[in-house]
Amino acid sequence: MPRLEVLAEVQRRMLQFFPCMEFDDTPWSPLAMPLSEARAAIVTTGGVHLRDDRPFNRDLPGGESSYRIIPSDADPADVVQSHFSIGFDRTAIYRDLNITYPADRMRELAAQGVIGGLGANHYSFMGALRDCTAIAEQTGPEVARRLKDEGVNLVFLTPT
Amino acid sequence: MSVLARVFEDAGLTTVAIALVREHAVRTRPPRALWVPFYFGYALGKPNDPEFQHQVIAAALEMLNADSGPALADFPEDAGPIGMPQASEVAAGVSSDGDGKVGSNDGGLDAADTLTALRPYYERWVEQRGRTAVGVTGIPQRRFRGIVRFLEAYAEGDGADMDARPADVTVPQFARYCADDLKAFCYEARMMQRPNDAEPELHRWFWGETAVGALIDRITQRLNATGDAKLQATAYGLSR
Repeated sequence: MPRLEVLAEVQRRMLQFFPCMEFDDTPWSPLAMPLSEARAAIVTTGGVHLRDDRPFNRDLPGGESSYRIIPSDADPADVVQSHFSIGFDRTAIYRDLNITYPADRMRELAAQGVIGGLGANHYSFMGALRDCTAIAEQTGPEVARRLKDEGVNLVFLTPT
Repeated sequence: MSVLARVFEDAGLTTVAIALVREHAVRTRPPRALWVPFYFGYALGKPNDPEFQHQVIAAALEMLNADSGPALADFPEDAGPIGMPQASEVAAGVSSDGDGKVGSNDGGLDAADTLTALRPYYERWVEQRGRTAVGVTGIPQRRFRGIVRFLEAYAEGDGADMDARPADVTVPQFARYCADDLKAFCYEARMMQRPNDAEPELHRWFWGETAVGALIDRITQRLNATGDAKLQATAYGLSR
């Protein structure tokens, strides 16, 4: 998004005071093979999911920290979005799912040999959360295990 | 999202993240983040522009060459709008007629009639695109007049409900899903009807000129007036 200084006061202040987690260090796992041999998966915080899956819902078990599995070969026509926030412009994803969830672009990269291939699944979380503790401690590690079980080396993360 | 990048990298996966808020990426320090100067909703920059989207992805993948982290790079090219008008910013020429229906300044159509008028455009959109963002409720669009009746009753007070609501979804949450489906239906129809309208025009039309936008905003006003924090959180996702 544009740098904070060009935004309206109300939105700038919301973002400045947003309680995101802060760290002094950075974990580091460099890719152990050429990109052209790496198996990739998308993990998005765009709140997208399969049309017949459960929409994101604060009131259900797991609530905001839950995730949805989307097969990497799913038809874009079968993917919808149930994000809580209206602080982003949905006209973009109405026009093109790839703007947030670039499944077609990743398939193209795999077909071109830029990446080695795709994992069986992509994953989707709810974004813009004010408390990421459960994601950091439970569902995030759970998805990491799933990705590794599916032979994924490289994760491409997209917000909305 | 930066938190997820850290969790995955901790587990031995290599991550590359698109970051929309540069200041947050600086604070959370994900291993590799490409900051993009696009508005919320536009992570890959330009809808229906695969070439541009590939440029963004390529710039992100380029960060795999970094020797240490946190690596934070800035994508140079701007794209698209940098904001969106919300309901409260749009001068709504909309009034209630007092019996649960909402009239609009767009030819006096009520919300149900607005859907009927937009239906041919919506159906053409789906036919041409092969995809629709409508579908969170699971209710077919041909039955959306039922959604409107439910939302009109819900705007008037508690007690409204709909048979299609799953047992584990609360009424306010279901109203939210209904509003999302109506919005997607209206926007997709409008984009078919007026393909050259830019995003700000679409938002001004929806919130300022349609009875559907006015109906959703009336629900927001009612939920906000309850003083209940959970209902207000739902309202915050309807309009503001």
